[in-house]
Amino acid sequence: MALLAAVVLFPFLWLLQMSVKPTADINVFPPRLLFTPTGAHYRALWEGAFPVSLWNSTVVSATTTLLALCVGVPAAFALSRARFRHEGAIAFWILATRMAPPIAFTLPYFLIYRHLDLLDTRLGLVVIYLTFNLSLVIWMMRSFFDATPRSLDEAAWIDGASVWQGFVRVTLPLATPGITATAILCFLFSWNDFFFALILTRTRAITAPVAVVNFLNYEGWEWGKIAAGSTLVLLPVLVFSLLVRKYLVGGLTAGAVRA
Amino acid sequence: MKRALAGRRDRTYTLCLLPSLVVLAVVTLAPTVYLVATSLTPLDLTRPATALDFSQPSGNYALLLHDDRFWNSVWVQAKLSAGTVAFQLVGGLALGLLLAVRSGFVEACRTLFLIPMVLPPIVVAIMWKVLYTPDISPVHSALAALGLPIPALITHPDWALPAIVIADVWEWLPFTALMVLAALKMMPEEALEAARIDGAAGWQVLRHVVLPYLRPALLVAGLFRLIDSVKAFPLIYILTDGGPGTVTEVTNYYAFRQAFNFSYLGFSSAITLALVAAVFLLSWWLVRVVGARGDVE
Repeated sequence: MALLAAVVLFPFLWLLQMSVKPTADINVFPPRLLFTPTGAHYRALWEGAFPVSLWNSTVVSATTTLLALCVGVPAAFALSRARFRHEGAIAFWILATRMAPPIAFTLPYFLIYRHLDLLDTRLGLVVIYLTFNLSLVIWMMRSFFDATPRSLDEAAWIDGASVWQGFVRVTLPLATPGITATAILCFLFSWNDFFFALILTRTRAITAPVAVVNFLNYEGWEWGKIAAGSTLVLLPVLVFSLLVRKYLVGGLTAGAVRA
Repeated sequence: MKRALAGRRDRTYTLCLLPSLVVLAVVTLAPTVYLVATSLTPLDLTRPATALDFSQPSGNYALLLHDDRFWNSVWVQAKLSAGTVAFQLVGGLALGLLLAVRSGFVEACRTLFLIPMVLPPIVVAIMWKVLYTPDISPVHSALAALGLPIPALITHPDWALPAIVIADVWEWLPFTALMVLAALKMMPEEALEAARIDGAAGWQVLRHVVLPYLRPALLVAGLFRLIDSVKAFPLIYILTDGGPGTVTEVTNYYAFRQAFNFSYLGFSSAITLALVAAVFLLSWWLVRVVGARGDVE
């Protein structure tokens, strides 16, 4: 089992060791497994424009997550507690936005952003990331609210609380673990995005994944730097996703399968 | 009194839902309408006058029907989807069964096996670019040292697509394995015991008891992978750029090229809508499958 894990994770481990390998050793065969680790690639990244792209990724992912939660959580609560006309249509539309290929949104957004001067802005990315984050929040939070007992809402009403007060003071605190998990998933999906950022940004609002790919395309084949950049992009993802691994499948299948 | 209260509650619920509906309409519905409208024009970014030219609304679609490159992309897509989904189902089933063994060590390993799936897709693509680039690939050097040199896969017409399939299977195998594992956890012990008491051998239990039980979970996992395989982008962009020639140019990638390499946004919108229609059909099937057996998990 351990051997299988090592084989499966080989591509991943190889990239990690490349990021701290001196450039002269990178394409030596047989590979030198005992080498003096170097921080040179990370230092080169730090001195270039890469920190800006990491900052852009962080700001955009955090903002879109926050917005999606503020708008989506109350909606999820309402869908969990009340019956609406056209509920089937709403559910279908949420599923459809999760399933649609990204290019279906990219084409119109590209054209509209050209007119609104939103190309290559962080705001532009925040808005397009809402297309998948809002559906994710509504879908995931709805099942978390379904799991919190209604009788607690009703008890709050008897004590004279309004629906909104009951929601804020009773149901919401109970759903905190769900909100945390949902927030992390939104952040990860935004952080991991490549396609939208590739097309909608150029230089100013460029995100870390696009910046790494630019090393590949424009700066020749500086493998050490590429590996170091990739490592910086993947580290937060690895940490956060292991925190929410219980909810991963729910998040990935949101829209068709209840989390 | 009671009625008035209930009315007020309903109003609150509606107010909670409303902002989401407005935002969804603005960020998803409006762009979709725009996409449909664009697909009815011959929009070419290098000729701005084409933006509002609705004189031949079906022009792009007529063109599409006779576009060999489009049909080639559909065929490439079919091969890619069939390859990835088949291997992910078989491999995911095997890995899921392996990980279902109850031991502390195996359970600790489960997390390790999840890693490929949670990595940023672009990083996965870069990892495989390293392995597929002969100059720096440890795999290429090792095979050469063993006297089995292999050609550069991603620039080879016969091997470029299988190379992408391998990377994609590696990335998403944990997903099907996880779905299998979740289904196995829900499996009633009695069925297994009954089969054992009847004297069934291990593989007979697997074939006649476990597999039929897992079938719906496998179908759902396969459909999910099928739908997502239509959106394949980072691997193709980084590894082959659709080439050599158009060997790995799936429909999604063809639409991307028409729009952002050649500026034909109108034609690209038509290709994209064809893609959206296919995805919707598959999603509809998925919902029916899931609905027919209630909610999984």
